[in-house]
Amino acid sequence: MTMAKKDTINALKRRGVDEESAKKLVKEGDFLLGDVKDASKEELMEYLSEEKAEEVLNQVGKKGKKKSKSKKKKSEEKSEEEESKSKEKIEIDKFEALSETGKELKSLSEKEGYYLPRALIRDIAESVKEHDISEDDYEEVLEMVNERVQNRKVDPKESVGIVGAQSIGEPGTQMTMRTFHHAGVAEIGVTQGLPRMIEIVDARKEPSTPSMEVHLKDEFKDDREEAKDLASRLEITRLKDIADFEINIAETSITIEPDMETLEEENLDIDEIAKDLNKKRNVEGEVTQSDEVINIDVEEGKFSLLYQTVEEAKEAKIKGIKGITRGVIRKDEGEFVIYTEGSNLKDVLKMDKVDIEKTTTNSPVEIYNVLGIEAARKSIIQEAKDTLNEQGLEVDIRHIMLVADIMTNEGELNAIGRHGVSGRKTSVLARAAFEITSQHLLRAAILGEEDQLDGVAENVIVGQPITQGTGAVDVKYTGYPEKEVQKDEE
Amino acid sequence: MNQSKGISKRIGSIQFAYMSPEEKRDLSATKIITPDTYDDDGFPIEMGLMDAHLGVIEPGLRCKTCGGRVDECSGHFGHIELAMPVIHIGYVKEIKKLLRSTCSECGRILLEEEKTTEYLDRMEEMREMGGSPLDIRNLAKEISKDARKKGRCPHCNTDQPKIKLDKPTTFREENTKLTPKEVRARLERIPDNDLWALGINPDVTRPEYMVLKVLLVPPVTVRPSITLESGDRSEDDLTHKLVDILRINQRLRENRDVGSPQLIVEDLWDLLQYHATTYFDNQTSGIPPARHRSGRTLKTLIQRLKGKEGRFRQNLSGKRVNFSARTVISPDPWLSINEVGVPERASRELTVPLKVTPMNLDYAKELIKRGPSPSTEDGEYLPGVNYMIRPDGRRIKVTETNAEAVAEKAEPGFTLERELKDGDIVLFNRQPSLHRMSMMAHEVKVVPGKTFRLNLAVCPPYNADFDGDEMNLHVLQSEEARAEAKVLMRVQEHILSPRFGGPIIGAIQDHISGLFFLTYDNPTFTREEVVSIFSNLETDRFPEPVEEDGNKIWKGKDIFSYFLPDDLNMEFKASICQKCETCDKEECQNDAYVKIEDGQLEHGTIDENAVSAFAGEVVDKIARDYGTDAGRKFIDQITTIALAVITLRGFTTTIEDEEIPDKAENQIESVLTDAENKVRNLIEAYKDGELEELPGRGQKETLEVKVMKELGKARDDAGKIASKHLGLSNNAVVMARTGARASMLNLTQMAGALGQQAIRGERPSRGYEERTLSHFKRKELGAESRGFVRSSYKDGLNPVEYFFHSMGGREGLVDTAVRTARSGYMQRRLINALEDLMVADDGTVRNTADKVIQFDYGEDGIDPMRSKRGDAVNMDDVIREFKKRGE
Repeated sequence: MTMAKKDTINALKRRGVDEESAKKLVKEGDFLLGDVKDASKEELMEYLSEEKAEEVLNQVGKKGKKKSKSKKKKSEEKSEEEESKSKEKIEIDKFEALSETGKELKSLSEKEGYYLPRALIRDIAESVKEHDISEDDYEEVLEMVNERVQNRKVDPKESVGIVGAQSIGEPGTQMTMRTFHHAGVAEIGVTQGLPRMIEIVDARKEPSTPSMEVHLKDEFKDDREEAKDLASRLEITRLKDIADFEINIAETSITIEPDMETLEEENLDIDEIAKDLNKKRNVEGEVTQSDEVINIDVEEGKFSLLYQTVEEAKEAKIKGIKGITRGVIRKDEGEFVIYTEGSNLKDVLKMDKVDIEKTTTNSPVEIYNVLGIEAARKSIIQEAKDTLNEQGLEVDIRHIMLVADIMTNEGELNAIGRHGVSGRKTSVLARAAFEITSQHLLRAAILGEEDQLDGVAENVIVGQPITQGTGAVDVKYTGYPEKEVQKDEE
Repeated sequence: MNQSKGISKRIGSIQFAYMSPEEKRDLSATKIITPDTYDDDGFPIEMGLMDAHLGVIEPGLRCKTCGGRVDECSGHFGHIELAMPVIHIGYVKEIKKLLRSTCSECGRILLEEEKTTEYLDRMEEMREMGGSPLDIRNLAKEISKDARKKGRCPHCNTDQPKIKLDKPTTFREENTKLTPKEVRARLERIPDNDLWALGINPDVTRPEYMVLKVLLVPPVTVRPSITLESGDRSEDDLTHKLVDILRINQRLRENRDVGSPQLIVEDLWDLLQYHATTYFDNQTSGIPPARHRSGRTLKTLIQRLKGKEGRFRQNLSGKRVNFSARTVISPDPWLSINEVGVPERASRELTVPLKVTPMNLDYAKELIKRGPSPSTEDGEYLPGVNYMIRPDGRRIKVTETNAEAVAEKAEPGFTLERELKDGDIVLFNRQPSLHRMSMMAHEVKVVPGKTFRLNLAVCPPYNADFDGDEMNLHVLQSEEARAEAKVLMRVQEHILSPRFGGPIIGAIQDHISGLFFLTYDNPTFTREEVVSIFSNLETDRFPEPVEEDGNKIWKGKDIFSYFLPDDLNMEFKASICQKCETCDKEECQNDAYVKIEDGQLEHGTIDENAVSAFAGEVVDKIARDYGTDAGRKFIDQITTIALAVITLRGFTTTIEDEEIPDKAENQIESVLTDAENKVRNLIEAYKDGELEELPGRGQKETLEVKVMKELGKARDDAGKIASKHLGLSNNAVVMARTGARASMLNLTQMAGALGQQAIRGERPSRGYEERTLSHFKRKELGAESRGFVRSSYKDGLNPVEYFFHSMGGREGLVDTAVRTARSGYMQRRLINALEDLMVADDGTVRNTADKVIQFDYGEDGIDPMRSKRGDAVNMDDVIREFKKRGE
């Protein structure tokens, strides 16, 4: 019996339904708690006597209060629906379209009842074309492919989790520890090898070397000047980068002399800078500006305030995007791409001329926050794959996908480790055996947790066969079928 | 014994709960009052810590509770009645939470009725949706946080005082101390209904139990005392701690009863709290750990469970086993990959159970008669019997002298412990066991010597070499286990790795060189040579010879083809391929384009890309398409003939293999000098500030990048010059090019120049003040002073170069050490997170809660091991087969 069913029974019991009827409903009728709530008396009577059914309905069935709640929910849903309607619909081609041959192959394979993945159909289409195979023979080729696919399916009860974990962990010993490797773009150092891999499975809030790959919209992607412009708009420029500071202690004032040449180059205006400075909260004092100099007069005698103001003014953002310290332009496959040091996906996507479909960052967490869980999954797969490939290690993509899937399964990003996936295990013993043993046991005792002994670690601990592979099935020898024995005797 | 009947019982589930004092008393076999253990005669004192009711640890005695002997009685709990209640250290935080979020007067949760029900509904919903305990705990946390906000009880309108926790166990309310007794009284007032909201299940426990009135005493079997040689008894740490508790408890009771001053009672109470705290956890922060007389800190309950050496990881998740052996490994090319050589000594010790039945009674008797260490007349090993086990479990040792007598007594139903013999299935393992190929099933072959022997082709999956590596061997004890091991764990089942869908078992090193010599340029072999080669195989058939000048000769490619399946068709590029711009395919000048047609090697050389572990295309295809048996046979055969061929030819490498003409050496010299000059110019430019900065880099960084690039290029150029004079007639080059061992880079470093040494990817720069070594000028940036090695290994390094080279070498060592630790932990976490995932019958991947993780494993349901490097189907294969069909 699955955990979920046991939980349902417990839930029914807690609501005052006697154990027997609860078990009957859940085991035989496959009822979930919600089903019972919504069920009519007749439905329940299939499994229970009339009075019992009535009793159950009284205890579990819909109450006035709940109804009002669900109504409320419905109205909420409605408004959401309207909202989504009003939003502009963005249509994205989910899949790369199939070629004509591909389409033909697809319909043919569907007709034959083969389930072949799209990527495979595309493969077949390609090679069929390359080798000039006539359309009449498609069926035979498909049959041959399907036979192979069926032969290579994974076995039921296979412990794919452990195989996957080993397949990613084992090459870990062969990876380098060198943090910086100038791969791809020589100017931007990106964490590589084992540290990077650990970072990915940890789902760190911020990677040690955040970096973005900013693409330009199609109409600008061939233009170096546009790319340069965008890069300079990305890079954060602080006042200290372009100006000299002078502190006059006697008058408790600060003189800021921006480099006029740079100002012009970067298309900046001294008035604007002064205005911005005035707005800053920690810049205390009167900001005045002439043609080439900005002055800040701080209240007399307040030296600590003076220094605080200097620091604040130095750090004042003149332009650019928070978090991005550098942008390097590179020509990749015929288009100009900007690689950045530092990352801020949300703000970069808002900029014009940026191709929001191709632009990406190397932080799965950031992608999760901006684009959602499916994008995060994709990002984990991509980053892990790139890290392994960079090291020249061959690991099947399916193993990486499994890791990404378990990290994203709950709808949010969970790290591999005690604060993430491992900490959310249902089994007390498995959690206790991993890390922070005592707390898990103590807490289990007051929550009254029940270990169902479904997993691997728990069963190893209590000393019984695990529930995967050959441990998941029983073999029973029943002797010869009786009929045959009788025949023999006759 | 239900060993033979399979598993008849299973633990369905384990419920965790926290005991009430009453339950503890019920569970207890005896109350413990005296802190003493044994009396003067060495007998346990009644109601003492070693009371005979608590179980037995000495053989011969019987348990006073259940009457069981040492192995029969697992012990019984006792209990101590505490004079005054103390707080359970593990639940301090929980108690704090409870006190803060419930009313100090009426005990209700500090939330309005509606709000509580709303929260409870949410919690209920969470449970139904299969929320993890973590989620529920977090919700309970949220609820108590919400409750804490209220300064006033919504039920009885009392103002709530602030409660502070003075770590580790003292609670204060507005600066007055709350005694554990008061705390307990408050917890008692919390109604069951409110407990759910606070993360406590009232069905299994009550919060007041967290303040201990009764302390459970673990059975003596949990804390056995040991008798030293001197006859002194040494007690377990837990017993020591319990003695402390009992002593203080007694004094506290006496003082309380005679009405001693409050101060004294309180001091004793605090002391009791200290001992109770350290009894549970001796690493509680804020208090000094309890120590043994010798000054060693005591290992109390939590220390016993926690960490790598704790009960969970050391004794429960992994266990010591019998029927295992460990020794050094050594290579044996005459074994099949499926076999393992087991030395006689180990074979005599390790046994397989053999059930005596009416059918094998005579055989069994014969076996016993041989005694424990029989051999043939030629002195060859024969398996004997070590023990005979009667159905009642008695073991009779078989010796040289009693063998005949024991044999007569043998009856059906007895079990014999038979020594290993050839063909037994055993598990063979090398640590670290990083993947499933680290433990595979082999067939035993008893061999002389003292080492385990294994075929060289299985080194890659175990990652084994023979520089002193040791491996473990486990003998399976049941028929099911043997069957499973044979089907699932045999070496031949693991030729293909699930990591990347390619071979992980295959030819290595000399195997590859040997096959290169067999096939490169298709050499001819005389009859004698062929006989010599084939004499190593168990075959009486030969490949067909060809006629040339009236002589019967054999071609190398034909010899190799002899081992290929008849319908094998393949095309790929060999490892010696020069990667020309346009591939001439069959016309390849280097004989690097491999083409196999109908099992005949038509063109090309067999090397790394054909047969090696990791890259071997032919091994891959045979193992995948012709079955694992064919794969095993192929690997066994080609490695054997490869070694025969290389033995026939002779193979070595010497320092002369790195010899290059003087002219070339001069060229290399000038390339290096040129480069050093260029570096000098760069440094000049840098000093004048005239370097053209790379985007986003300063002068200094630009210089470093440019210098590194320049010197890197110089090394490569030197290498290129050297390689020009290193052809395939050179054995070292053969090894590098065929992928047998080493690389061309290694060779050029030996013949040309070593090149720049790097520390953390940069030129070495630290050591002395602004220089790397004391005799360099300060701020010197030249090639020599920053780790450029222009010598080759052959010429030898000068002292300065040697120093820099050592720096690089040390970095490598440190790197390896750090890496193993870090990647080991990463793998442990990965395994722990993924271990429960399994493909369900419907093809979905699910976890233990039956939650779907993937709807179709890997998006296509293909087993990576059965895939061809990740692809479900190799279309080239399909097309080739299709075309073949058409013909």
